[in-house]
This record gives sequence, C-alpha cells and structure tokens, in this order.
Amino acid sequence: MFNFFLLILIYTGIYALMAIGQNIITGYGGMLSLCQAGFFAIGSYATAILSVRFGWSFWATLPVAAIISALFGLLIGLPTLRLKGDYLAIATLGFGEIVRNILNNWDSVTNGPMGIQKIPMPTLFGLTINPYKKYAFLVMVIIFVIIAYILFQRLARSRMGRALTAVREDEIAAQSMGINITKYKVYAFVLGASVAGIAGSLQAAFSLSVTPGTYTFMVSVMVLCMVVLGGMGNFKAAILGTFIIQLISYFPQLTGLSSVIPPQFKQILFGLILVVMMIWRPQGLLGREEHTYGVKGGK
Amino acid sequence: MGTAEFFQHLMNGLTLGGIYALIALGYTMVYGILKFINFAHGDILMVGAYVGLFVFDLLRGSSPLGTWTVVAFFLAMLISMAVCAILGMTIERIAYKPLRRATRLAPLLSAIGVSFILSNSAAWMLGTQSRKFNYPFDNSSINLAGVIITPHQILILVVSLVMMLALKLFVDKTRMGKAMRATSLDQDTAMLMGINVNKVISLTFAIGSALAAVGGILIALDFKVYPSMGTMTGLKAFVAAVVGGIGNISGAMFGGILLGLLETFGVAVLGIPSGLKDTIAFGVLIIILLVKPEGLFGKVEKEKV
Amino acid sequence: MKKSLYVFVALVALFALVATPMFAQGGGEASSPKIGFIGPMTGDNANYGVLSNNSAMLAVQHFNAKGGFDGKLPVVLVTEDSEGNVEKGLSAIEKLSSADKIVGLVGPVFTGTTFAVGERVQNEGIVMLSPSATHADITAIGDYVFRTVVSDGLQGEVAGHYFYENLGLRTIGVLYAKNDYSQGLYEGMTASFEAAGGKVTIAEACQVGDKDFKTQLTKIRSANPDAIYIPNYTAEMAQILEQARQLGIKTPFVSCDGFSNPDIYNLAGNFTDGVVYVGPAKVKESKKYSDFVAEYTAKYGVGPDSFATNAYDGTNILLAAMNTVYKKTGKFDRKAVRDAVAATKDYDGVSGIVNFADNGDLVAYQGLYKVNGTTPEYLGTYTVVDGKLIQID
Repeated sequence: MFNFFLLILIYTGIYALMAIGQNIITGYGGMLSLCQAGFFAIGSYATAILSVRFGWSFWATLPVAAIISALFGLLIGLPTLRLKGDYLAIATLGFGEIVRNILNNWDSVTNGPMGIQKIPMPTLFGLTINPYKKYAFLVMVIIFVIIAYILFQRLARSRMGRALTAVREDEIAAQSMGINITKYKVYAFVLGASVAGIAGSLQAAFSLSVTPGTYTFMVSVMVLCMVVLGGMGNFKAAILGTFIIQLISYFPQLTGLSSVIPPQFKQILFGLILVVMMIWRPQGLLGREEHTYGVKGGK
Repeated sequence: MGTAEFFQHLMNGLTLGGIYALIALGYTMVYGILKFINFAHGDILMVGAYVGLFVFDLLRGSSPLGTWTVVAFFLAMLISMAVCAILGMTIERIAYKPLRRATRLAPLLSAIGVSFILSNSAAWMLGTQSRKFNYPFDNSSINLAGVIITPHQILILVVSLVMMLALKLFVDKTRMGKAMRATSLDQDTAMLMGINVNKVISLTFAIGSALAAVGGILIALDFKVYPSMGTMTGLKAFVAAVVGGIGNISGAMFGGILLGLLETFGVAVLGIPSGLKDTIAFGVLIIILLVKPEGLFGKVEKEKV
Repeated sequence: MKKSLYVFVALVALFALVATPMFAQGGGEASSPKIGFIGPMTGDNANYGVLSNNSAMLAVQHFNAKGGFDGKLPVVLVTEDSEGNVEKGLSAIEKLSSADKIVGLVGPVFTGTTFAVGERVQNEGIVMLSPSATHADITAIGDYVFRTVVSDGLQGEVAGHYFYENLGLRTIGVLYAKNDYSQGLYEGMTASFEAAGGKVTIAEACQVGDKDFKTQLTKIRSANPDAIYIPNYTAEMAQILEQARQLGIKTPFVSCDGFSNPDIYNLAGNFTDGVVYVGPAKVKESKKYSDFVAEYTAKYGVGPDSFATNAYDGTNILLAAMNTVYKKTGKFDRKAVRDAVAATKDYDGVSGIVNFADNGDLVAYQGLYKVNGTTPEYLGTYTVVDGKLIQID
C-alpha cells in the first residue's frame, strides 16, 4: 500500500512540474494552451532516445530534453501566440496531436507504436536512483518541484511577471505602456514548455519505457484542470491542484473500490467534478495570488 | 495515377469531407451564436447514434429492405433528433448557463467534463463493443465509368448540403434567426431589444444537437456505433469548422470538404505516409490559423480599446 | 496563506480517512488470495481490455463455484485499468502488488504496457500471463513472464510461409494499424513472406480508431497485389472488408487471429466470404470451446475474441498452479506459483493444448481457416521449424 502511495506522490511531482509550466503560460500569460502533453512527450523521448541509443547518462539528457522542448515551444509559440483565446487553444491542441502522431509513425527514430524500453536508471555519485524502490526517486522529484517552484515564483514577481500580468489584464493598454507583448508571451511559453520537457524526462526515467499512447490530449486537459482547480496565477495552487486531481484519479484504487465499481466511474466522477467546480468556484480553490509590489506590509 | 484512380480518390475525399462537414455544421452553429467550443458535441452525436440504432432496430423488427425500412429509418432519426435536442438543452441549462459571464476557460472545461460524463456513461451502460447499424436501403455500389460510389455516400453529401442551406436560410431569413444573430453580436443589447436571450440560446443548442443526431446516425451506417465514436471524428470536424471560419455556416461545409480532400490527396498524391493523416489535418489547421486566423470565410473581429 | 493551510489540512484529513482502511487491510493477511488483471478498461481501446477481463471473471467464477483452492478457499480477482498506457499500467501493478498483494497477474493487454509492467513483475517476483501481448521480445523480460498468446514471431512466420507456399501468393498488399499488435504481425509476416521469395508490394498504415480506409484501399487496388493482408482488430477488419467491397475490390483477403472473434460475422456480414486467416489451432472434438463461447456470449452479450479466449486459459492456468502449490504447502508462495505455472503440461484449455517453452512463450501451433460465407472452415494446423512450414494436423 505504502509503495502505491509513493508512486502517486511521484506522479504528482511530475505532473506538478507540468502544472507549474502551464501556470506561467495560462495563469500569468493568459494564454489558453493545450499542448503540455506534446512537450511532455518530447522530453520523455529525448531522454529515452539519448540514453538508450547513445548511452548518455540521465543527467546529460535532462538539459537536452529541456532545451529541445523549449525550442519546440519557440517554434510553435512564435507564430501562434498572436492568436486569441479559443484559437490558440485549438492550434496548440493540434500541435500536441501532431507530436503524438509523428512519434507513433517515425519508426526509425522512435520505434513507432512499440515505444522504447530498457531505459537505464538514473545514477548519482555512483548510486542508482531505483524507481522500483521509490524513496530516492521521490526525493529527487520533490527537489525538482521545489527548484521549479522557487524559480518560477521569483520569475512571477520579476519584471516579466508584472509585464505578463499587464498583458493578460489589458493587452492594448500594456502595449501602449511600452511592453513588448510578443516577447513576454514567447518567454512564458518557452519556459512553460521546457519545464514540461523536464517532467517528461523524469517520467521516462521513472517508467523506464516510453510509448506514444501515454501522451494523449487527455494529459494536456488534466494539467490544465490542475491549474484551474488550484487557482490560476498561483504556483502553490497549481501544486495543490495537481495533488487533488491525482488523488481523485487514484481514489477508487486507494479505497480499494476499483474492483467493485465500474472502471468508467472515475472518469465520470472526474467529469462531474469539472462541471461542478466551474459552476461553484471557477477561480479555483485558492484563487489568484495577489502580489503587492514595492509596498511592504501593504494590505 | 490513372484517371479512374484520381477520380476515385476525389470521390473518397469528397465523401469523407461530407462527413466532416455534417458534424462541423453543428459545431459552427453553437460557436457562431455563443462563441464557445462545445467539446461535448461529439458525444451528443454518439448518443444520437445509439438512440437511432435502438429505435430503428425496434421499428424495423425483421422486415426486409423496402419502403418500411426507409420510413422506420427516418422515424428513428426524428426521434433521435428530439432526444438529442432535449439532451443538448438540458446540458446547456445545467453546465453552461451558469458560466455565461465567466472567463472563456470555464465553459470550455465544463464542456470537457460533460464530454467525459457522456462517453464514459455510455461505455458503462451500453458496453464498449461496436454495434452494426444496418443500412435501411440497398447500399450496393454504383460504378460510374470506373469510379465507384455508394448510395450512402451520395446521401451524406446531399444531407450535408441540404442542412447547410436550411441552416443558412433559417439564420438569415427568419425572425428567430435574426434574434440569434443579434444574440451573437451582443447579448446585453439583444436583451434590451426585447429578445429572450435564454430562449435563443436554448434553441441554438437544440438545433445544434439535433444536427449532431443526424450526423451521428448517418456516420454510424458506415462507421458503426461505439462509445468513443464521436471523439476523433468530432475533433477533426471541429478542425474543419475552424478552417472554414468557425461560426460561418457555409465555411463549415467548405472546411469539411477541404479537409477530406486534403487528407485523401495528401496520402494519395503527395505520398505522405498514410499513418500521418492526422498530422495533415492538424498541420493544415495550424497553417490556416497562422495565415488567416479567422478561418477562410470568417469575419475579422476588430479589437476595441 | 491561511486559506491554503485550511485546504491542506482538510486534504490530509480526507486522505487519512480514505487510506486508513487500506493500511489496516494490508496489515492482516486476508484469507482469500488475490489475483490481478490489468488492461485498458476505459478510453479508446477499452473494448479489448473489457473482453479479456470478462474471461478472467468467468474463470474465477467457475473456480469459486467449485469451492476454490483445495475445495475450500475462494480466490478474489482484482481488475485495474491501464487506460492502455504505460503510466497507468505502472500505477495499476504497483497497487495490485503493494495493496492487494496479488499472487499472480493476468494481463496486460497491450504490448507497450506489458513491457513496462513485465519489468516490474519480474522485479517483484509476481508471475504474469499475458493473453495478448504478441511482441517477440516480451518473454525475454524474465522468467516470471508468460503468455497464452502466440508471439508475432510464430504467427507471422506461419502466415508468411503459408501464403507463399500453400496459397501460391507472390505479391501481397498490407493495410495495418499503427499499434504494437498490428505492426508486429505485419513485420513478422513480411519477413518470412519475403524470405520465402514473395514480395510485399504495398504497405499502407492507419491510426487506431480510424474508420475510413478508402484512401488506403484505393492505393492498394491500384498496386493490384495477389492478396491483401489485414492484421487488425475485429471491428476494423469488418470495416475494411465492407469498404473494399464498396470499392469493388475483388482481391482476396488474408488475415490474422483477430478474425476468430465471431463478432466479425455480425459486423461484416457476408463480406467475410473467402477470407483465409491464421488463428488458434483447432480444438479437436472438444465441446470446450463452443461451450465457452456460448456461455460467454450469454453472459456478456458479445462473443469473446481470441485474446479473451487466451485470457480464460491464462486465468485457469494460474489458478490451477496456485491450487497445486496450496495443496502441497498450504500457502501461496509467489516463487512456487511461478514454478508451478512453468511446469504446466498439456493443459487442456478452450484455445487448445497449452504448454510453455522455457522462455515462457506459448508452445503452440497455428490453425488455418477459410471463411465460407460466414462459417470458418478448418484447413489445417501448422508450425514453422527452422524456416520450414510443417503441417501438424
């Protein structure tokens, strides 16, 4: 039982990284992106291919996964970010599907639908971080989440965070104040993509195998829900939202109900929670974090 | 490639496009009025197909193909349209109406939630296997100088064309259609002008869902009935609606046909591996959005300060 | 800040509430042993998981109706959903292994998930019998991994040789799906068919979930091969046959074990006429198979596909092995159960006589069938030894 709970925590950590990325894109940047799964997949496959084919260590693949994801973020972000609201959502959704479609078809590189197996376990100072044993891996994931949290939290309070807030609240006003809208939007998008790439890299190191079937559109939706459920524009809330959504999706298994109730039940429950949540508390559990700039002890 | 093969691909592309167009019309209808992506549209389509299947099998019994099967088919379709219209209005009342003043994200997520509930409930209650929807008419192929087409394919193209024209007439010429357009432009002003906005929106959903039922049943004849039948086809149809300019009725028709042709000819002529059909669809989507974000036939909305 | 504290406390309380009974349950060794099933129960591929899970449930029901282990101890089946992907497959096996303490596992259904779960059961020492993971390398994971399905290797080999030698085909067009099962069969068949001297002149792919195959079929029609090979799932094959007929394709079709699901005749009607397929070996003069199909169909409203048939045998083999161990030692040692499964000899199952090779692969022969109208007619049973097709029956 305990091992199962540790596994849920590890998944929570990995998804929390993605949620942090989504939060900078959607919560701060106000861009409705639906392709975290795409960057997640790119990160996973980068680690899988580099470590299995070329014998790289996990730690060497990690920055590469982040950079490749960031490059794709730039590639898709530069042109699409001038799209508004729903249109951006659709374009990014399309991008996520293209990534999965290509992974499934580019057999010579990705091994197609079979995926890539036997990814070596990460090691640190000669010690193996064994995903089967969980503890060390969990500690590693938590460290990643803490680092990401601190970095992004600082970022949100920086000039960039303020600029993004201004852009989100009123694009035209922000522009007339001299804020380079495109620049900040692309920054946010690229950062969000790269942290999802890191999450993907961790996922590959944890599962020790990757298949295209894992990176569906559903993953993007889940991540978006985590951010919205917690409260947009609030990194603490994004992590909390991740935890809650993971708890909900593993609820039947945790309670031992999964063999009693029909398997569709958890998806139905998830759907109900989405609808109810949107109606009762669309701003999320915690709501937006209000920064008080410059004024110490302000209200 | 021979002429016959070329025209065969053209025919295949047209009918596949017809299917996309049929569903895209429903998407566009709702989006045009409410500016809201009804993610549950594909699942309403699935419900429509199941209702149609059950009613048709019940009415038909074991009678052989003939006038009665065609009549039974249309009766089943009418009943399914009614059921879906009610379902659509109910969903709107419960899951979307409270969110009308919320951010755009809220109704989108709520719709995804509804989609989850519908498709998984169907899988739970009706099972996951594919069910055959028997043709109510003789569907033997017709050979036109080497190009082969089935009566069902013609039916799909004709129905989507008729539906498009009827919708256009309804929205452009009737009083209710005018009310819809007013609601689409500005809900508050429309209300002040004495338009019952709630009624208009309800009706929009009723029509959109009834269209989904028609689409679902016609598609089911070819693709069978199963709980996730609306997901991918629905997504592609939605892409078609966006390509044509979402909210624009003839645009949806055009976008659907265009997407069907591109998928077919991308594989047949350009030699793109057939596994990458989806990449063609979504690639076209992204390119069109970049070149003309409002879609091929969409209206440019000026942003006001 | 305060608000987040409240929410956090509430969550911890909720979790404690939820998890307490589980921890308690995990502590005391429950008297009834558990076995697990993993497969896609929701999502686009749910059908394949559901069909096989039905079989496992049916097998457990029969077993318990007869009194269970040693006639006195019933078994409990715990089913977990993999949603057809690695991530959920891993959480499923973790839950089964650490919370339910299962003795053995039936599943997973898909090859990709099976690779990941297989590594895990090997590490935990839980015996696993997959009813449908056909990839040639699956059983190379380790000695705890077995399967009650023929590997792509053998099915592809028999298919390739039979098509070339007995059907006299020289060119074949293929329409396969981009998933592990279908692509594995396509590659296996191609390798042996081309080694025998034939040629796959055109290979077109589709995505899982596609329902429109007209573009691919039109291309294949123009290539004009001697036959068209469609290694795919039941519903998709029905679709392909119907659309081929609509396009006026007269080329004969050859197919795989997915065709042994009787549902194909409901879905495709008489478009199945003339199809030759490689399926499970014929169960000689045994009512077993037909009884199983009848009972399954009556109970679940659909017929079992070949994977479900394999899952039924797999579950029964696991239970029989557990029973042997229990009778001998009075408990369920995982290693002992694994050894008992490996020692299974000439198990008389619904899919035929089951034996395992040293690596955990099914020692099996392949049946060849030709559909006449909507009735499959038995052509013979074959296997391939050292690159030679040998008729067994």
